[in-house]
Amino acid sequence: MASGLSAVEVPEEAADALKHYCFGCHDSATRKGGLDMEELLGGEEIDGTLIFENLLTGKMPPAQKDQPDPEEKRAVLAWLAKRQGGVAQKPFRRISRHEFVHSANDLLGTNLDLTDWIPEDRGSNDFDSDRKIQLSRQMLGSYFSVADEMLDFAFPDGGFPAERTWVTNKVRDSHETYRIYHRPYREGTLFSWTRANNGNSYSFFYEGFSPPVAGWYELTFDAAKVSGIAEDMSLQVHAGKYYYADDRPQPQRLLGVISLGSPELESNTIRAFLRPGESISVHCFSRHNFRSKSPKEGIYIKQLKVRGPVLDSWPPTSYRTVFGDQPMKVASRKSRKVEGFQTNLQKIGGRVTVSSFEKGMEKERMQDGSNLTFWHTRFNPTVAKPPHYVTLENPGGAEIEGLSFATWQGGNGNGLVKAYEIYVSDDGESWGKKIMAGGLDVRLANEQPIVFPRGTSRRFIKFLVTDAVSLDGKSIASIGKLDVITTVDNSPGTSGVTVTTRAPEDLKQVIRGFAERAFSFKPRDAELAPYYKVALGGLEQGGDFVQAAKLGMKAVLCSPRFLLAPGEHGNRSYARAAGLARILWLATPDRGLLTLAASDGLRGDALRRQIRRMLEDARSLRMIRSFSDQWLNLRSLDKVTPSLKLYPLHDDLLNHYLPLETRSYLHHLLKENLPAATLVDSDFSFLNQRLARHYGIEGVIGQEMRRVSFPPEVPRGGLLTMGSVLKVTTDGFDTSPILRGAWISRNIVGTPLSPPPESVPALEPEHGHAETLREQIEQHKENKTCYACHKSIDPYGFALESFDAVGEWREKYKIRQPHRGTFQYRPGGYFKMGREVDSSGEIGGDKFGDIFGLKKLLLANELKIAYNFARKYFEYANGHEPTLAQRLHLWEFLGRAPGNRRLKTLVTEVIHYSLSEANE
Amino acid sequence: MSRYRRREFLKFGAALPLALQSLELRGATEPVAKASPRRIIFICNSLGFYEPNFFPARRGDIETSPYLKDLEVREKMTVFQNLFHPGMDTSNHDSEKSFLTGAPSPEATNFTNTISLDQVLAREMGGDTRFPFLSFSIYDRGWGCSWNSRGVAIPPMHDEQEIFDRLFGEEDLTARRRQIEDDQRVVRSLYRDMEQLQKRSVDSSKIESYRAVIAELEAQLRHEEFWLRTKKPEVPNTLSADQEFAFSAKVGNLFELAKLAFQTDSTRVITVSLDWIYGAISVPGATGGWHTLSHHGGRADVLQKLGRVEIDIVKRLNEFLSELDMIEEDGGTLLDHTTVMVGSNFGDASNHTHNNLPTIVAGGGYRHQAHTVLDHPTPLCSLYLELLHRHGVDVAGFGTSQGDLSLLKG
Repeated sequence: MASGLSAVEVPEEAADALKHYCFGCHDSATRKGGLDMEELLGGEEIDGTLIFENLLTGKMPPAQKDQPDPEEKRAVLAWLAKRQGGVAQKPFRRISRHEFVHSANDLLGTNLDLTDWIPEDRGSNDFDSDRKIQLSRQMLGSYFSVADEMLDFAFPDGGFPAERTWVTNKVRDSHETYRIYHRPYREGTLFSWTRANNGNSYSFFYEGFSPPVAGWYELTFDAAKVSGIAEDMSLQVHAGKYYYADDRPQPQRLLGVISLGSPELESNTIRAFLRPGESISVHCFSRHNFRSKSPKEGIYIKQLKVRGPVLDSWPPTSYRTVFGDQPMKVASRKSRKVEGFQTNLQKIGGRVTVSSFEKGMEKERMQDGSNLTFWHTRFNPTVAKPPHYVTLENPGGAEIEGLSFATWQGGNGNGLVKAYEIYVSDDGESWGKKIMAGGLDVRLANEQPIVFPRGTSRRFIKFLVTDAVSLDGKSIASIGKLDVITTVDNSPGTSGVTVTTRAPEDLKQVIRGFAERAFSFKPRDAELAPYYKVALGGLEQGGDFVQAAKLGMKAVLCSPRFLLAPGEHGNRSYARAAGLARILWLATPDRGLLTLAASDGLRGDALRRQIRRMLEDARSLRMIRSFSDQWLNLRSLDKVTPSLKLYPLHDDLLNHYLPLETRSYLHHLLKENLPAATLVDSDFSFLNQRLARHYGIEGVIGQEMRRVSFPPEVPRGGLLTMGSVLKVTTDGFDTSPILRGAWISRNIVGTPLSPPPESVPALEPEHGHAETLREQIEQHKENKTCYACHKSIDPYGFALESFDAVGEWREKYKIRQPHRGTFQYRPGGYFKMGREVDSSGEIGGDKFGDIFGLKKLLLANELKIAYNFARKYFEYANGHEPTLAQRLHLWEFLGRAPGNRRLKTLVTEVIHYSLSEANE
Repeated sequence: MSRYRRREFLKFGAALPLALQSLELRGATEPVAKASPRRIIFICNSLGFYEPNFFPARRGDIETSPYLKDLEVREKMTVFQNLFHPGMDTSNHDSEKSFLTGAPSPEATNFTNTISLDQVLAREMGGDTRFPFLSFSIYDRGWGCSWNSRGVAIPPMHDEQEIFDRLFGEEDLTARRRQIEDDQRVVRSLYRDMEQLQKRSVDSSKIESYRAVIAELEAQLRHEEFWLRTKKPEVPNTLSADQEFAFSAKVGNLFELAKLAFQTDSTRVITVSLDWIYGAISVPGATGGWHTLSHHGGRADVLQKLGRVEIDIVKRLNEFLSELDMIEEDGGTLLDHTTVMVGSNFGDASNHTHNNLPTIVAGGGYRHQAHTVLDHPTPLCSLYLELLHRHGVDVAGFGTSQGDLSLLKG
C-alpha cells in the first residue's frame, strides 16, 4: 500500500473501545475537529499518528469524559501501531560531517577539527542522522580532500616539524594610534578593559610568534590581576588574521579563557590548533570599565611563551595506531628555542649603523619589533646636521627585495620621515646614483613596504632621509621600525618516522587492520582485494610504504562501507558495535567492541554493559554535545545576535559559556542517572563567574564551570530557564511567547504541532507596543481555529516572559530608544523601561502565576516529559521518528517502573531497543 | 619543485560547474570551438565614485560626466542611475560582500551570504573553458565579490604574476597529475568494491546512490585531467612593473590579465574587486590614502585628490575597454562579445550610502543608451536578473530583483 498503512483487521476489543469512547464526538455525524473514526474503522487510509499520541498520553478522551481501562486502551493502541506497520525507512544513512571527522581522528590517532571544510548538509532536518539526507558530489569531494589532509597530518611526507619555543612580550594594537586600552607595565603590558563586547573590531596582537606550520601549540601566559576587585578577570585568547583599523576587521576565534584572580604572576596554558597566517590576540574582560588616560587596573601580562607544534607522544600516536605492528625507525625529535624578537636583518646576520642618535633613542630601538620605541637623530646637546641616514649591512649577500618602514607612534609628529632615497654600495663608501626615491605616510601605524625596482644582494643599503616633519624648523629624523624585506630560511628541520618494511604482506596487514576498524567487521581477504590493490599499486610504482598505505586508507575512508554506515557486517554484533559507536561516540568501534563482536557476543546484558561503559568514556561528551546541539537547536545559538542597545551586557564570553552550561548539566543528569523531571527543574546547575552574574547569583568567582546549588527563590535549574535555551528561542531583540511556547511544546512536552494556516498573518514580537502584544496573542482565544492549537503553545511562552531575549530575569519590558550614529556602544544601552511583565497563564485548565507555577504543572506529568525525551533520543540514534509500535514500546517501558524515568536507564533502553532484533 | 597543495586543487575543483556532464558525454575530447563565445566581467570599485563627477549632469548626455566624457567607447556603454541594493542601510565596508549577491545586512554577525551573480553565470558559461571563472582583487583578503552556492567566500587571486602563471605559465604537471591519478585509483578501487557488494546483493539502493555520486566526482577529475593534457596558451608577459605608480599599475595589470584570459578563451566569467584601505597610494597628481580620501566630507582639497585617484581608475578602465574593442573576432570585436559591468557597493562612499549606485554596462553587443535614469529607485538585482536572462540562465528572480525590466536594449 502506497501510504505504508496495512489493511489490518480491527480486533473486536479495539473496535468496541473506539465506538464507546470516541464516537461521541468523532462519528460521521459530529466529526469534531474534522476527525471521523468511522472512516478509520471502515478501513480508510487515515494517518493514525495523532489519534495514537493523544490516546497514549491521555490527552484524549478529554479528562471530563469516560476513560477506557488499560486493556481497552492497549488494544486500540496496538491496533493503530499494527495498522501503521513498519514505516518504510531507507535502510542506511550517510555519515554526518561530525561523525566523519571524529571517526577519522580515532582511526588515525589525530585530533584535527576539519568539520568546517565539509559543507553542512543537514538542511532543515532536525537531526544530522536523518535518513532523508543523501550523499552529494560536493560532500564526497570534501571527504576525499579532508581524508587527504588528515592522512597528511598523521603521516607527513616530509616528517614532523621540529618543536620550537617562542617568548614574546611585544603587543601590536590593531588601532595603534588610540592606545587607551593598554600600556607598558613592569616587564610587559597592562591591559585595561578592552571592549570585549564587540571584540572583533579591536584586537591586541602578540608579535614575535606566528605559527610556521599547522599544528597544536601550547600558549603560556604569565599574567596577574591588577585590581582590588573581588572577582576574577578574564583573559580571552583569540587567533585570527592580523588586521589594521576597523574597516576590515578579521574574525578572531576564541581559543580559550584564562581566569585571573591573583595579584601574583601565574603561568596559564592554553592548547590550541593554529595555522600559518594566524596571529594570537588577547582581550582583557571584566565587568568593570578601567578605561582611562593611564589605566592602573586590568590584566598584567608579562609575556607569552609558545611551544609547538607539540605532539602527544614520540613517535606520534598516528604511527603507533596504524603501523604499530610494523618495524619502525624513529629519529629523535628536534627542538629549537626562539628567544625574543628578531628582525629579518638580524636573521640574515646583518647590522645597522646610523648617522647620529639621541641617548635612549639608539638604533636598536628601531630593531626591537615595536614602533612605540624609536631611533632619533641627535638633538642634545647639539642638533645633528643632515644628511640623516641609516645604513643596513648585508654581510652574507642575501637577496634583498626592499625595506619595511614604520613611523614611531605617540609623539607630536616632529621628526617623522616624509621622503627618502635609497642607495646601494659594495664597500659602504662609494654609493653611486640612488636606486629609488619615494614618500611615506606619517599618519600610518603599520608597515609601509619600500620595494626596490629589482632585488639586490649588494653589501650595503643606505636609507637617506630627504624630508621629515619639522615643527620647530630644525632638521631631525626618527624611525619606529626599519627592516629588510627578504626571504628568510625559517625551516626548523623535521624528524621522521620510517616504517622499515616493503613487504606486500605487511602492507595488506596494515590495510586489513585499518579497514576492520573503519568498517566495523572482519572482512575476508577477497573482500578487501580492491583496497589492497590500490595500496599495493602505490608500492609497485615505487612509492614508500607509508605513502602506499595512505592511498589504501584513503580508499577505506571514502568507501560506501564507511560513508553510508553502518556498513555491511559479518554478524549482528558487528552491526550493533557500529551502531553503538556511532550513537555514543560519533565514531567507529574500539578494540573492546570489535573483540566482543567477533564472537557475536554483543547482546542482552553484555550489550547493556557496553552501553554503560561507553557512556562513562570521555568520548560520550561528543554525543552530549551533538545531541543537545540538535535536540535543543543550540547549533543556532550564534545565529542569534542580541541587540547591544537593549542588552548592552551581552558579550562574547557569555555566549561562549551558555552552551557549556547546558552540556555540563545534561552530562551530569546522564552520569548520575537523575529523573526526567530534572530536565524541567532542579535546584542546581553548572555555572561560572560570568554565568552567575548573568543569573544574578552571588559568590561564584572564577571562570571554571562548577556545580552551583540554588535557593528556592531562584527560577533557574532545568533546561527551560537556561540562558542558552532562552536566547536561542528569540530573535535577539524581543521575545515571542509563541516561538518559545512552540519550542517547549515540541522539544520538552512533545505536543505535536501543525503549521499555522497560511492565511493567518504572523505576529511579530515587538515590545515597543508591549501594551498590545499579549492582547494580540490572546486574540487566539477568540478564534477557534487558532485556539485549538495555541491553547497548548502560547501559555508556556507567557511563563518565560520573565526572561528577556538573552535570558536575564526581568520585571519590566525594555523599549528601544532611537539614537544617532551606528557604532556607538554604551554600557547603559539605549532603552527605557516599559510596562510590567505578566507571566501568568493557563494550560489544560490549570492556572499558573509564573515560571515556578509552570514548572510545577510540567512536573506533574513527568511521564510525558520522559516519553518525549525518549522519542527525541530515539530519533537522534536512528535517523527517523519511532514508529507507533516503537512508541508503544517506549511508553510501556516508562510506565513499568518509576526508575525507568531516570535518564541513563532511559537512554540505555532506547539504544538497546534500537539495536535489538525487533528493529533489524 | 614545491609540493602541490591539495587544498588549492580542490578549491578550484569545487568551483567546477555543473556542465561537467556534457564533458563526460564528449569523452573528454577537444573542446568544441564555438565562434566568439559570450563573456562577462564584473568590476566592483568598492570605494565608490564621487557622484557629481561620475553621473552625467545633463540627462542622457554622457559628455556631461567629468569622468566618462573621455572614454573612447562611449558609444558602446550605458550609465544607469537610481539603482540601489535594498537592506544595506547601516552597512560598513562589508556591503561589498553583497555587491554581486544582493543579500541584505552583510554587517550582521549572523549574516550568511548567498550565491553571487558571477557564480550562477559560471555554472552556465564555465563548462568549456579551463577556468570556469576567475576572481581577482588588489590584495590578499580572503573574500571579494564571488560567493558560492552555500554563501561561502571564494578567495580572489591577487598576485598578478601568480595569476599569469595559473593562466599561461608552466606548472608542476607531474605532481598535479599524480594527485589526480591517486584520486582516480581510489575511485577505481571503490568501483571494484561496489561490484562485489552488488554481487552479494546487499542493499542495492545504497550502492546505486553511491554510484551516482562517485560518477560525478569522476567526471570532475576528468575535467581537471583533460585540461592538464591541453597545453596552456602561450602569451608574452605584458604585465607592467611600474613602481612609481604601483597601485595604478596593479589595476592595469588585473585588467590586462582579464583581457588575456578572455582573448585566449581561458575563461568566460571574471570578477574584479578594487579597493585599497591600507595607507597611501600614489597616482599621477596625488598621494594619499584612497580610503581616507573617500571619506572626503565634501572638503575641496580632499575631493581634488580623490578625483585624481578615481580618474586614474577610469583611465585604466578606458584602456581596458578600448583594447577589448580593438581585438577583432567573428562577428564583431571582443568588446561586442563581452558584457562589462562596472559598479560599486557604495553610492556615496563618504557617507556609506547604498542608493544611486554608480553603474555602467559596456560592450556585450547591446544597443546602448548612453545614460538611463530610472524614475524610481530600482534594485540593482533587477539588472542582474536581466544579465542572467541575457546569458541563458532562465530564472524568475535573483536576490532582491523585482523582475526583468528590459533595461538593456537590442
